[in-house]
Amino acid sequence: MVVSLLLALPAAAGLWLVTAGRATPPRLARPLAAASALGTAVLAVLVLVTGSQVDRAWLPELGLRWSFAADGISAPLLLLTAGIGLVVTAHAWVELPPGGSPAGYLGCLLLVETGALATFTARDAVLFLVAFEVVLVPMWVLVGRYGDRRDPRARADAAGRFVLYTAAGSSTLLVGILLLVVSTGTADLRELADGAGAALGPGRQLAVALLLVLGLAVKVPVLPLHTWLPPAHTTAPTAGSVLLAAVLLKMGTYGLVRLPLATVPDGFGRLAPVLAVAGAVGVVWGGLVCLVERDLKRLVAYSSVAHMGFVVLALASGSETGVQAALLANVAHGLVAALLFVLVGGLKQRWGSVDLAVRRPALRETSPRLGLALVVGLAASLGLPGLATFWGELLALYSAWAPAGDRPRGVFVAAAVLAAVGAALAAAYALRVAGLVWAGDRPAADAGTGTDAVGVERWVLVTLAGAVVVLGVAPMLVLSSTADAVAGLGGLR
Amino acid sequence: MSTVVSVDLLVLAPALAPVLGVVLLLVGDALAPGRAGGRWALPVAACVLVGGAVAAVRAALVAAEDPARTLCLPAPGDACLWSAGPRASALQAGVLLAAAAALALVHEAAALRRDTAVTATLLLAATTGGVAVAAARDLGGWLVALELATVPVVALVALRGTRPATHGALGLLVTSLASFALLVLGAGLWLTATGEPTFSSAAAAGAWEDPQRRAVLALAVALLVAGLGFKLSLVPFHAWTPQVYPRADLGTTAFLAGASKLSATAALLVLVSALAGVVDGPGPALVLGLPAALSLLLGTVLALRQEDPARLLAWSTVAQAGWVLLPLTALSEDGLRAAAAYVLTYATATLVAFAAVSRAGARSLEQTRGLLRRDPLAGGALALALLVLAGLPPGVVGLVVKILAVSAPVAAGVWPMVAVAVVAVVLGIAVYLRWLVVLPGPRREGDARAGGEPPRGWASATVLVVGTALLAVASVLPHLLLTAVG
Repeated sequence: MVVSLLLALPAAAGLWLVTAGRATPPRLARPLAAASALGTAVLAVLVLVTGSQVDRAWLPELGLRWSFAADGISAPLLLLTAGIGLVVTAHAWVELPPGGSPAGYLGCLLLVETGALATFTARDAVLFLVAFEVVLVPMWVLVGRYGDRRDPRARADAAGRFVLYTAAGSSTLLVGILLLVVSTGTADLRELADGAGAALGPGRQLAVALLLVLGLAVKVPVLPLHTWLPPAHTTAPTAGSVLLAAVLLKMGTYGLVRLPLATVPDGFGRLAPVLAVAGAVGVVWGGLVCLVERDLKRLVAYSSVAHMGFVVLALASGSETGVQAALLANVAHGLVAALLFVLVGGLKQRWGSVDLAVRRPALRETSPRLGLALVVGLAASLGLPGLATFWGELLALYSAWAPAGDRPRGVFVAAAVLAAVGAALAAAYALRVAGLVWAGDRPAADAGTGTDAVGVERWVLVTLAGAVVVLGVAPMLVLSSTADAVAGLGGLR
Repeated sequence: MSTVVSVDLLVLAPALAPVLGVVLLLVGDALAPGRAGGRWALPVAACVLVGGAVAAVRAALVAAEDPARTLCLPAPGDACLWSAGPRASALQAGVLLAAAAALALVHEAAALRRDTAVTATLLLAATTGGVAVAAARDLGGWLVALELATVPVVALVALRGTRPATHGALGLLVTSLASFALLVLGAGLWLTATGEPTFSSAAAAGAWEDPQRRAVLALAVALLVAGLGFKLSLVPFHAWTPQVYPRADLGTTAFLAGASKLSATAALLVLVSALAGVVDGPGPALVLGLPAALSLLLGTVLALRQEDPARLLAWSTVAQAGWVLLPLTALSEDGLRAAAAYVLTYATATLVAFAAVSRAGARSLEQTRGLLRRDPLAGGALALALLVLAGLPPGVVGLVVKILAVSAPVAAGVWPMVAVAVVAVVLGIAVYLRWLVVLPGPRREGDARAGGEPPRGWASATVLVVGTALLAVASVLPHLLLTAVG
């Protein structure tokens, strides 16, 4: 019951805002959207507390059930999504992008949130796919209509690329899921995880795993399939970038845990070395691009590719520690990316562009609060101990160093070394950005004051930075939640 | 019993309703020619069609266990010439409602024409054929019904009287003659191979066992599929579609895109259900799979480049016909159900799109810019229809029927078709999003369309509201749609 409400509330509010309530003026639409997001967050907590679930037949012809519930693996992501939902709706007081009706914009944000919540709670493989697709159209609208006003052609290109890449991924995923369902005779994710692919021959397992991994790798994104991400993140309005980085990418990694890793562990194991190398190369590649990238927003987008590389590497290792590390790094990246995108969005609003080649006065002098948030974000991004990213990425490296028994250790050790080099690159680009933006290289004499974060923006930044610190100090908040559920996954050692 | 053949009028009601309508119109027109410009004819015809649809839905509900049979020959043959299971009844209801929707669009444009009674009569005649073919089990009835569903449409296209329309009608006439020739030849070969003038699984199975008769049966199936390919607009028999759609008036085009496709699919399902589970091997799958794959790829790629909505919908029809055929390549019961569910969804969405285009009076995609603000009903309905055709939530029903359509070949292991389907999904999304993207847009001042506002009657509004409601309900409860098609 509660879990149904959790999905129905943002869906209803979002649909109303994009259809009948399109003309609602911002002074009404903003509180309405924020109230829905707040209600959703309360419901998310209630779902976790009460263990609410719903399970009824929806499409018996396909064996598809309307089945939603949360467990230890989805709990942190559920809370992350609900929290990010609050952040993006609150951020509407800071920035309402032009391009269409404000109510439509807020409605799209809520619809994306609905899709993500449904994805994280779906207990049925086909339903998971349907939920996975729900985010596509609202996100396409956010990027294509409310995105960067400067270049309409680039906007259309980024939005189209996002949709088509993701659709190609989800069609592949669909074939994989259907093959899995046909081979095992059930679409229930719990039953599939319990069976752990025993009903399938090795060839079939490999085929299913390949289709599932290929489909999800687009969303994560894993390196050669990442080219949709930088334009989409760069073009989207601030809240859209936050949702993309903090929530949508997580749907890919969550899917990797739920589907190939849990349901066809042997097939996944055979693909794991390739995945590990792709992840490690992603870490290095993302870091190298960040060293030379001029656009700060695009730089943050590429740093996402690098961070997701760690997550993929940890997942590929096949050990319990690895999956735990992946889930932790997932949540950590969600918070850090949200912080950085809110910050960069604010800078873009103030400066008109975030070209790093333009010499600007030091942020620490003109806007000390923004400067502090930037330092926290960058420090987290480079994996400083005591901040959120540190534990996830350290454990990811450890799990790659000591992978599960059936993984080829040489490949994984090489990948771990490569990823460690990438972590060093992260330090280099974080310091580059800090040097250019935070320290600045122009005297601040002509800089006006009063451009610092105030009001909602300040509180959004404080909340996100606080969460980054809390998760860095107490990673057990996530790890203890996921531990039992991960231990219950079949096929892990 | 003195009767040779048993007749149950209630079971025949879906086909008799349009016949009754034809009689009413002809008598009415004879008694009071040109009364009120003949405009009374369309509402009468629409009422009759809706009545027929109610009868078909009743049959679908009653016939959940056994198909409703009539026109049965006495024992020992015991064969029935009319056998409508729930799936056939659902398709019949679809044909009748789609014809009613087409009539509504004709009504919208009827201010300009004098021959509405003739138009309505022709539409009703074609509908009768389309309804009958879904339940026909004998070769003769099947062929006659199929032609009855086609020939009046040629006259409808020609009736417009313009030069391009005549060209289009000529193309359609040549096409339908060629397809009739193929169908007759195929039917003859079917009779030779199976020795029975009915589409029965038992007879087909017998013929498939015998290597010599198997070749004849395979050839018969190939010819019948080719003949139906013309009516379904399958590549390589599609060439008439993009010529006729933009040249005929929108009502006729809507009939071609909706009711005609439903009846052609119903005819195809009669054929394939005789083969499902009986024949195997790559041959039959290839006969069905090749046109499906070509239609999916060519239709989608060419739809990507169209500027005229009618032309875009024409190529989209070609692609969607490929989607209807795709699950049939599995030659399984699931495939039949998926094809029926797909074609019903496609027809509803396409009719909504045509109704919106008719209301907007748009001759190019650019003219629909800002439709969501200018006319929220047409714009919103069109947006939902495009999302359903693309298979993206919130048009969940479009996604569900695509999942069903792909799951049949996955279960049967027809991998090449699955690969084609994946490509077609992605390209198809690009096609419909390209149109969807112009719908919001800003209202442009000074963009008064030449010729004043298009008619904004209640007829197209009804089509939009009913169609959108059907799509929305099926999106929330797709189970209802699948129950309807068995």
